[in-house]
Amino acid sequence: MNTPRTPTRGAIRIDDVVKIYDPGGAAVMAVDHCTLDIEAGEICMIVGPSGCGKTTLLNAIAGFHEISSGRITLDGEVLCSTDKPKAEPGSDRIVVFQNGALFPWKTNIENVAFGPIVQGKLARTEAVEKALSMMADAGLSGVEHNYPGEVSSGVRRRVEIVRALMNDPKVLLLDEPYRALDSLTKSVMHEALLEIYYKNKVTIFFITHDLEEAIFLGHKVAIMTTRPCKPKKILNVDIPHPRDYNVLTSKRFRELMEETNDAVHEEALKAFRAGEKEG
Amino acid sequence: MEPVKKALTPEVMLDIFKRTMPFQVVSDTMLRKIAALGWQAKHEQGAVLYDAGDKADDIYIIVSGKVEHALEPGVNARRPMQTLGPGDVFGWAALLNQYPSRLATAVCVEPTEIVRINGEELLRLFESDPDSGDVVMSRFATMITRDYTVPDLIAQLRTIHRKLHSGDIQGMNLTLYRLSLWARSPRPYLMLIGFALFLGFWYLAVEVWKLPRFREMPGITVVIKEWISKDPTYGLSLYTPEYYQHIGMSVWRVTQAFVLATLIGVPFGLFLGWSRQFKEYLFPLFEMLRPIPILAWVPLAIVMFVSTESAVIYLTFLASFYATALNTMLGVESIEESYLRAASCLGASKWQVFRHIIVPGSLPFIFTGLQISVGVAWFSLVAAEMVSGQYGLGYVINTSYTMVRYPTIVIGMITLGAVGYVTSAMVRIAGDYLMQWRVRELALGGR
Amino acid sequence: MSAHRFSAKSATRGAASIVLFLLLWELGSRSRQWIGADIFSPLREMLGALGFKKTYLPWVGAVPAPTEVLNAWLGVVADAGYWQSWYKSMFRVLAGFGAAMLIGIPFGLLLAVNRTAFGIGFPVFEVLRPIPPLAWVPASIIFWPTQEMSIAFVTFLGAFYTIVINVVGGAKSIDQRYFQAAQSMGSSKWDIFRRIILPGTLPSIMVGSAVGMGITWEVVVAAEMISGGGSQAGGTGGGGLGFFIWNSYVGGSYQQIVVGMISIGLAGFVSSELLRALGQYVTPWLRLR
Repeated sequence: MNTPRTPTRGAIRIDDVVKIYDPGGAAVMAVDHCTLDIEAGEICMIVGPSGCGKTTLLNAIAGFHEISSGRITLDGEVLCSTDKPKAEPGSDRIVVFQNGALFPWKTNIENVAFGPIVQGKLARTEAVEKALSMMADAGLSGVEHNYPGEVSSGVRRRVEIVRALMNDPKVLLLDEPYRALDSLTKSVMHEALLEIYYKNKVTIFFITHDLEEAIFLGHKVAIMTTRPCKPKKILNVDIPHPRDYNVLTSKRFRELMEETNDAVHEEALKAFRAGEKEG
Repeated sequence: MEPVKKALTPEVMLDIFKRTMPFQVVSDTMLRKIAALGWQAKHEQGAVLYDAGDKADDIYIIVSGKVEHALEPGVNARRPMQTLGPGDVFGWAALLNQYPSRLATAVCVEPTEIVRINGEELLRLFESDPDSGDVVMSRFATMITRDYTVPDLIAQLRTIHRKLHSGDIQGMNLTLYRLSLWARSPRPYLMLIGFALFLGFWYLAVEVWKLPRFREMPGITVVIKEWISKDPTYGLSLYTPEYYQHIGMSVWRVTQAFVLATLIGVPFGLFLGWSRQFKEYLFPLFEMLRPIPILAWVPLAIVMFVSTESAVIYLTFLASFYATALNTMLGVESIEESYLRAASCLGASKWQVFRHIIVPGSLPFIFTGLQISVGVAWFSLVAAEMVSGQYGLGYVINTSYTMVRYPTIVIGMITLGAVGYVTSAMVRIAGDYLMQWRVRELALGGR
Repeated sequence: MSAHRFSAKSATRGAASIVLFLLLWELGSRSRQWIGADIFSPLREMLGALGFKKTYLPWVGAVPAPTEVLNAWLGVVADAGYWQSWYKSMFRVLAGFGAAMLIGIPFGLLLAVNRTAFGIGFPVFEVLRPIPPLAWVPASIIFWPTQEMSIAFVTFLGAFYTIVINVVGGAKSIDQRYFQAAQSMGSSKWDIFRRIILPGTLPSIMVGSAVGMGITWEVVVAAEMISGGGSQAGGTGGGGLGFFIWNSYVGGSYQQIVVGMISIGLAGFVSSELLRALGQYVTPWLRLR
């Protein structure tokens, strides 16, 4: 059994970040002077309506997009800033994609072992062994030699998370990973994610539009305004971990939902109206 | 201590199944059917679920509690004694008809809630839906062989696994599977009607009713008689070696051109898709030359190449090359951005991305391109042979016309069609074989 | 990975390659004039060892140079017969393609919509498809009374196969939910056909037309070369561009061959653009994506 590490790595600081798309032309501001602190080993949930710019933030941390100004640091080291607008993608911050990005032409185990092998950190046999044991830990025994297309989407998501964790990342970046799953599978996924988290204690940066999911999973919930996004309200969820599905019906959970529901709904309405105007 | 029997609500059952291997891998519809077979039982601490040697009828899934599972001595296992908890499945010996008795003793060490499913009913369910059944059974097989080394046991599993449906869904066998499915549908009979109509019309129009214009055509009986005759009037039939010489010549030319076009076109297309610079330099030139029909090259090719043979192969090559390169490029460009991003997150270098993502990811398009390539190769070859060549099916068709050997024209055409189809199918099968993952995904209907 | 944006830099790169290509072509074609020089004797030895002639570069050495081609073109442009050939070929292509659409689209739709029709018709179609259209030329000549009709038939065949395949494929790929939505709103079968199937297959037809157009040109050119072009020969007129090329070859004016080839390339490009414009007119909703 893994002994949970005391989290000392994976602290992200988003400092006054601005992102403007097409500055010379349409000048669409996606992120508006956003400042957010994420502690090491914390599960930070980002909640906001679709299209508000939360994915832009995630992409900036991951190194897929540039920022226009501001600064993002990881454990004190600068990832990107006004002088160096694009971070280098790396295995210390791994993304789990919305529609899944397991390589369909590799088996699950080949996917999971991919990271350490291509980085040269482990020899092939060692990587496969480690992958086997990590998959077993995550309750995924039995699907190692199947292709992603052969298993259900819930299983695929979990395999993708294990693929990320194989590289011992500081941060897991999740971009609405459970959006396409039905609610029954989702609840199973939540508990699976928490189980994995308890064994591995990485920082989790999790984007969702589902407030319940956010409060259930997160230490901190940042509710973002509609485009351009910045934190409108930050909630510290004081329900203790480890949590299980009974939390969903607890009094404290309901209270937290009430506190934040209005804020979320307000932004959702704004987004809807803005969409109508854009036509 | 009688177990308390209870049938759970379908939703709760579904939820339980979704958490357990190997069931969670199948679709919800299938899970509901499986869940419908199950019933719940509550046991107290110390209750013996079954003893080694008991009749094996049900499979067990633990909902809550703990069960100690002790194998009888003599059964080689990696873990002879296990404590099983919620979500674990055991007692699957019930699935193996020829293994009627329990291999272990199962005792509850805590108050335990169990869901039980009758093994025979489950097997029958799998037989009715072989795709899902196969998925579950393979998972069982993997789980079991991981833990046990009883040779008979494993052999039993293989028998059951194969008995579920005629033909594994793997690689080349997919073709057989498709065929077997298709044979069971009404399609073969409609197909026969179609051919009967077509051939019947041909026969009637030319030989019986002698319709105007159709009169001049070679009739179907004439063609067939000629084709199977040992001493054909016009010198070409299934029994004459020249027939096969011509076929061989055409096939050999197409093969040369196709292989060359693939060896050059695929890398060229890969680079066009992968490197923006490469594309900026070379794609305009490529697109400028492409609209010139291959057959417009014929006279120039004859001028350029000393031998007509080289000219013919060049023309065929050119057609294949365009198709291959273009489709390969499209294949690379079709790769989802998220795969490339994931690879960069996972630390892959540019070349590793090329090798592990770009090449396998474009294979589907590449193979579509190769099928098109074979098609256009035949197209160009025939034209080239008709205009300038010796031997070959195009040559046969042309000379049969000029020498007024009409039935041979038709023989040539039919042979061309058949050979063209076979070569195209060969490419498709090669693609199915190399892209196992796609074959399986398509077979399972993708989720 | 998506299509690259057009930029001045990429245009210059493309142009640079084309210019380089033309330069190499020019040099290569004129190899007879420079390969005799002393410094090239090792090159000549190598050519000889490989089995090629030593007096000019293989392949490209036999081809007329771009400057010669340009010259010939300027001469030909003044000839009315040249433009008549253009017209003839274009006409055949568009007529053949149009006929293929007129017959192919309804046929394809019938196959797509009616399972029995599909079961009966599609296997026969698939069996006939691998036979290259050009292989039909002799049979076509025997059957049809005039040469023009036999060319037209073969042209028609070439495009017909592609169009039917695209219609069937397009109809099959229409999202099931559109049908369900229509049915739940009470549409009749004819309505569904007119408002869902027809528009739903149009994109595939348009996309497939590009390929079909290419095939049609191939067939027209080949048919013109093989069957001698149809009406009275004489000069450059009367036969279409394929005949123009063949005639130039037979007459020994190789520069004109290349002129013809480039002309056909241009004509093909023009017809594809026409088709694409038609496609955009007919399927405006795709543009907005």
